[in-house]
Amino acid sequence: MQFAILFYESADDFSARLDPARTDYWQGWASYSRSIGQSGKLVSGAALNGPEVGATLKSGTVQDGPYAETREQLGGFFIVEANDMEEAMRIAARSPTAGTGAVEIRPVLPTTTSED
Amino acid sequence: MQYVFLLHEDQAAWDALNEAEQAEGVAAHMAFVGALNEANAFNSGAPLGPAGQGKLVSADGIHDGPFADTKEQIGGFYMIEAANLDEAIDWAKKCPTAQYGRVEVREIPDYANG
Repeated sequence: MQFAILFYESADDFSARLDPARTDYWQGWASYSRSIGQSGKLVSGAALNGPEVGATLKSGTVQDGPYAETREQLGGFFIVEANDMEEAMRIAARSPTAGTGAVEIRPVLPTTTSED
Repeated sequence: MQYVFLLHEDQAAWDALNEAEQAEGVAAHMAFVGALNEANAFNSGAPLGPAGQGKLVSADGIHDGPFADTKEQIGGFYMIEAANLDEAIDWAKKCPTAQYGRVEVREIPDYANG
C-alpha cells in the first residue's frame, strides 16, 4: 500500500536550499532520494516553496501564507510504496528532515480510478 | 509551473456525514479532477487516511500524529499545472474543499532550471 511522507522543515532548512554554502542540504536529499528510488519504493514526490509565496482559500476568500502558523512548515512530500506503517516509518526516519524538523507518515486511501 | 493544493479538512465533520453525503463529497472531487483533466491541468492527487492514525518521526523519537494541533488537518492533496499563482488560485476556488475547509496553494520550485 501507499503512504505519504510529509516533511515539515525548519526555517533553517528552507533557507539552506538557496544557500551555495549549504551543500550538505542537497547532498542529504540527493542520497536519500537515490536510495529510495533504487529500492523501487518511490512513487512520486515534490519539494514545495515556502508558504510565504503561496495562498490559502477559505469559502472563496484568499489569504496570504500558510494555514497553520507552526514552527516548521510543509516543505515537501514523498509518496512511497511500503508493506505497512512500520516500513513507511523506517523509510521516513532516514530522511534529512527526521533530524532537523518533523516527518509525518500517513496512509494514502485507495481511490477508484477504473471504470468497473 | 506546478502547484500543490493542500486540502485542510475537518475529519470529525466528514465522519459525521452519512454515506450518501460522503458519496456526494467524493463525486464533487471526481468532477473537479475531471475539469482539471479536461484543461490538461491535472498532475496527480491523493486522499490521505485520518491524521490521528498517522505517525511522526523527529529527533525526539516517534510520536502519534497529527503534526499540527489544529481543527483541520491535511486530508489530501492535488498536484496541478498552472501558468502562474493567480491561475492556480482560480483552480483552488473551484476545488470542493474551498467550500467546507481550506485549500493551501503552494508552488513547486524548479530548482534544476532556477
